[in-house]
Amino acid sequence: MSQPPVQPLVDPSVPPLVLGIESTCDETGVALVRGRELLADVTASSMDEHARYGGIVPEVASRAHLEALLPSLEAALASAEVTLADVDAIAVASGPGLVGSLTVGTAGAKALALGLGVPLYGVNHVVGHAAVDELVHGPFPERFLALVVSGGHSSLLLVRDIATDVVELGQTLDDAAGEAFDKVGRLLGLPYPGGPHVDRLAREGDPTAIPFPRGLSKGRELLRHPYDFSFSGLKTSVARYLEAREASGEPFSRADVAASFSEAVADVLVTKTLRACEEHGADTLVVGGGFSANSRLRELAAERCAQAGVELRIPPIRYCTDNGAMIAALGSAVVRAGLPSSPLDLAVDSQMSLSVPVVLPPAE
Amino acid sequence: MTTRDTTQQAAGDPVHVQLPSAAATRALGEALAAELRAGDLVLLVGDLGAGKTTLTQGLGAALGVRGQVASPTFVIAREHPSTVGGPALVHVDAYRLGGLAELDALDLDSTLEESVTVVEWGGGLAEALAEDRLEVTLDRARGAEEDSGRRAGLRAVGPRWADVDLAAIVAVVDEGER
Repeated sequence: MSQPPVQPLVDPSVPPLVLGIESTCDETGVALVRGRELLADVTASSMDEHARYGGIVPEVASRAHLEALLPSLEAALASAEVTLADVDAIAVASGPGLVGSLTVGTAGAKALALGLGVPLYGVNHVVGHAAVDELVHGPFPERFLALVVSGGHSSLLLVRDIATDVVELGQTLDDAAGEAFDKVGRLLGLPYPGGPHVDRLAREGDPTAIPFPRGLSKGRELLRHPYDFSFSGLKTSVARYLEAREASGEPFSRADVAASFSEAVADVLVTKTLRACEEHGADTLVVGGGFSANSRLRELAAERCAQAGVELRIPPIRYCTDNGAMIAALGSAVVRAGLPSSPLDLAVDSQMSLSVPVVLPPAE
Repeated sequence: MTTRDTTQQAAGDPVHVQLPSAAATRALGEALAAELRAGDLVLLVGDLGAGKTTLTQGLGAALGVRGQVASPTFVIAREHPSTVGGPALVHVDAYRLGGLAELDALDLDSTLEESVTVVEWGGGLAEALAEDRLEVTLDRARGAEEDSGRRAGLRAVGPRWADVDLAAIVAVVDEGER
């Protein structure tokens, strides 16, 4: 398709109605946002189908998106009491994520944009996890840090403008935080997904019982990776601890293992994030992504942010897991910034750089 | 995808090497990369924490591919394009795949020819992808709390590997350790 990018909407008196579509992983989300107001947010999940595999299966996810997209769209329009004709712009998460899943949402978004004659914006899923907080806690400050933690991501972003200026300071070098929880859940014999189960067990244990390692937090590794994370070594330490007890028959507390492991993850995430806040002169921290449901992370972040004088913004859980509102919110910010729309031959990008909030048309 | 009879393939004797540190595991990945070319399939076998992703990181670094080589568990398959005009790295985690139909659904055969395909947890399943393959088994000593390193076993299957000296690959790692 070779079609000139549609020009952005300019009338500032009535904020445009932005339809957001999310399909990067196993949730199909469709939402409608006007300005910073959320009008409708519908999410369908194929999680139950994945549970039997112990995780996402791309083929299952793609098919589920295809089945859920139109019903979710209709439900969102009905909930907001608008029609497709009222929609001023379409935003879709075009990366990062699973190629098959991204393709379904992006193809749907292109069809809608073309059919309605409205601009299309391919936006970044991970940046969306931060953007959604504007719908909850209002406009962002001039600069803030965003920690996005989930089953697939553990990234630290410096945001000067959510639509135009996002810098990825760090990411996980191996396992994401949520993934490490799922794997430790497996080691502890807990059902998938292990994250919530480990979290629950951890609340009954002593977080100081076992000194599990803090990855990339000392010496040369810290200097080389000040804002990167590594949870693979921690996971292996937990495996070793359990294997050693199993071999010796020495009694141990599973709750203490869960609590000490959770403490190590939360400690590293919060320590590195607050160091980045100080280094970059940011006095606001936004935490997003499904793993921000973790109770120890929330507790520790609240405690240390208060000590450091950093304002902590965490949206309610339903906006932390994948949803359409985050995509519509970022789309709305992009429209507000007056950026040109993405080309209609927009390609999905499974490895989209986190420093790209929106896919801009190619330079002339 | 076509499935092939894998019983007739020539398999060489395995070659072993001690990997005392994560750096050594990464070095083995780098040494392997020097031998790899488009179309090659590498199967990584080993428990949680055996070093499969670490080895793939060394391999990806030496191939010169784009993007952080991290655990593919969540996304199942991740493609890293080359930055140096070489083959891409396709990094797969087959742990949760229930069978050949699900492996087939990943369409790995569409990228196999122009990529280096590394499959974690692929034993017993991913052999169907290609007649020739390199199997790397990573073992971590169990039962002790302190890290006593890993042991890698390399085993080549099929004519592609007939002229490749596996002992020379692991010798590079041994040299580096001294």
